[in-house]
Amino acid sequence: MQHNSIVRRYLWTMLILGVGCSPGASEKTDILVDLTLTPSPPVVGNTQMSLKLATSDGTPVDGAEVRLEGNMNHAGMKPSFAELQEAEPGRYLGTLNFTMGGDWFILVTAKTPDGQTVQQKVDVPGVKTR
Amino acid sequence: MITKAEGRPSRDGQRAPRQRTMSLDLLRLPILGRFLCWRYSRIALQVPVFFLSLIMIAHAFWGPQLAPKNLAALLTWVHFRGLVVLVILLSGNLFCMACPFMLPRDIARRLFSPRWRWPRMLRNKWPAIGLFVLVLFAYELFDLWSDPWWTGMLIVTYFAGALIVDSLFRQASFCKYLCPIGQFNFLSSTLAPLEVAVRDIHICSECQTKDCIRGVRAAIDTELKTPSGGQLPIVQRGCELALFQPRKVDNLDCTFCLDCVYACPYDNVGILTRLPAEQLAVSGPRSGIGTIEHRFDFTVLATVFTFGALLNAFAMISPVYALEQWIAERTGLRVEWPILMAMFAVALILEPAMLLGIAAAVSRSVARTSDSLLTTINRFARSLVPIGFGVWLAHYGFHFFTGFLTVIPIAQNAALQSFGWPLLGEPQWAWGGLPESIVFPLECGFMGLGLLGSWRVSWAIAHQLSPGRVWSCFAPWALLHLLLFLSALWIMTQPMDMRGTFLGG
Repeated sequence: MQHNSIVRRYLWTMLILGVGCSPGASEKTDILVDLTLTPSPPVVGNTQMSLKLATSDGTPVDGAEVRLEGNMNHAGMKPSFAELQEAEPGRYLGTLNFTMGGDWFILVTAKTPDGQTVQQKVDVPGVKTR
Repeated sequence: MITKAEGRPSRDGQRAPRQRTMSLDLLRLPILGRFLCWRYSRIALQVPVFFLSLIMIAHAFWGPQLAPKNLAALLTWVHFRGLVVLVILLSGNLFCMACPFMLPRDIARRLFSPRWRWPRMLRNKWPAIGLFVLVLFAYELFDLWSDPWWTGMLIVTYFAGALIVDSLFRQASFCKYLCPIGQFNFLSSTLAPLEVAVRDIHICSECQTKDCIRGVRAAIDTELKTPSGGQLPIVQRGCELALFQPRKVDNLDCTFCLDCVYACPYDNVGILTRLPAEQLAVSGPRSGIGTIEHRFDFTVLATVFTFGALLNAFAMISPVYALEQWIAERTGLRVEWPILMAMFAVALILEPAMLLGIAAAVSRSVARTSDSLLTTINRFARSLVPIGFGVWLAHYGFHFFTGFLTVIPIAQNAALQSFGWPLLGEPQWAWGGLPESIVFPLECGFMGLGLLGSWRVSWAIAHQLSPGRVWSCFAPWALLHLLLFLSALWIMTQPMDMRGTFLGG
């Protein structure tokens, strides 16, 4: 009986772990994200990030908190983070450090003043080594 | 301390009695020894690894499909690979000992016994070599390192494969003839400082029952029902990989299951310390394996192991993409697999055939031996294993040392997403591992040790082949090992460039 209980608990934990970690956590909004990297294609080191946030009708979204998380597509690497500052309405600037050559992706998280959270994954393939 | 007196290689690698070697026996140690002598110690090691595998499978299929955020991808490609080679370097083939794939198989075998013997024509390393190359190829083609779902599928396939094969075929057919990880571990553990070996060979010479290989059957006076065949049931397995302890040489094909330890009625099998690579140069028949220098499949296995190490490391640096791009432009190919296949053919067939052929031709002519070219290659192929292992160590060690702490934030993140609160604390994303400036000297050290090991083994083989012209016979192989070492060193000095999209990227 005790063994059955342990097994049942384990399976529940597995289920919770699995369901809880389901991908697609981003919320559906009508906000569009446009990320530009300079230089492009990017090279290893600090890269300028320019992010535009706008509604589907083109209205800039200002006053948002924008955070970038850069990861390599290979496991075992520390991510790089950047907080972008608003340079003009709807346009946010900052620097992200690509620590190694290869394929990266950037997770964009933007919290708008009205409480919406925009999350988007932007692929950055082929960051070049110097 | 144990004194071993027989069956060890002499200085020139011949299998003959030699000076007594003092060995430490792990099974004689106070706590560890008692644990390992416990009959269920293997299961005690397998169970946690099995449940960890289930967590990895769950996270692979239902967790975030981003490799750096996924436990399956991280633990498989960073921690598991790194720990396997490091544990073998420091102790022995402990992964096979704690192998989770054998747990469901052992449970299934309690329910029914397999009926068939593994087909005679497949009782060699060819199926495992094919699977080993297939895994290396799939790893590059499908970028398994960046794909949690396929990593999960690989683990599930492994469980299913081991279960099905060993449910149909007797003994440890999956481990001995199919498992690519097993072959990797068997070859690597020839460099390990520990070996499951006989304590006193004289006791074995008087043994009548040979339980270490036959297994222990139930006593005749028990009330156990005998099967229809009339034989009493086996209560303790003997070696399922056909390694007869008194004639066993080295760790090849040994899974450290310790069945022989539990089966021996004289308590005469231990886990003994020894000099790594000491027995690679031993010539002559080996129990359960045969004469290694007559087995071309072992030559190919050692070659694929070594040149595969270079290829696998080469695939993570920038020049490989330039090369692929160049081939694509020249041939007009827009798909990766034929280009990758051509690179594999060059790296694993053409290049080794050419290099080993030249080295063998030179040493054969110097030694003035009647051996054929292939026999000479078969003799010396074993000397590739240490440098190959050194390159695997450098490569996997790099990933492990630079990223071993990343498991903490990923586990914290998984718990946070699962339970909605930071059960394991807030994810500490800044945790990574050692800086590359520290890891690089370690990589060089691993490869340097591998080079020395290869030289030591090839020297012993050259001594066997041509005692009067050892230097001349040794030199071409020493140059080959040096060439492999320098190639690996060049690869390790290149900036890493992990890409999966060479044509699109």
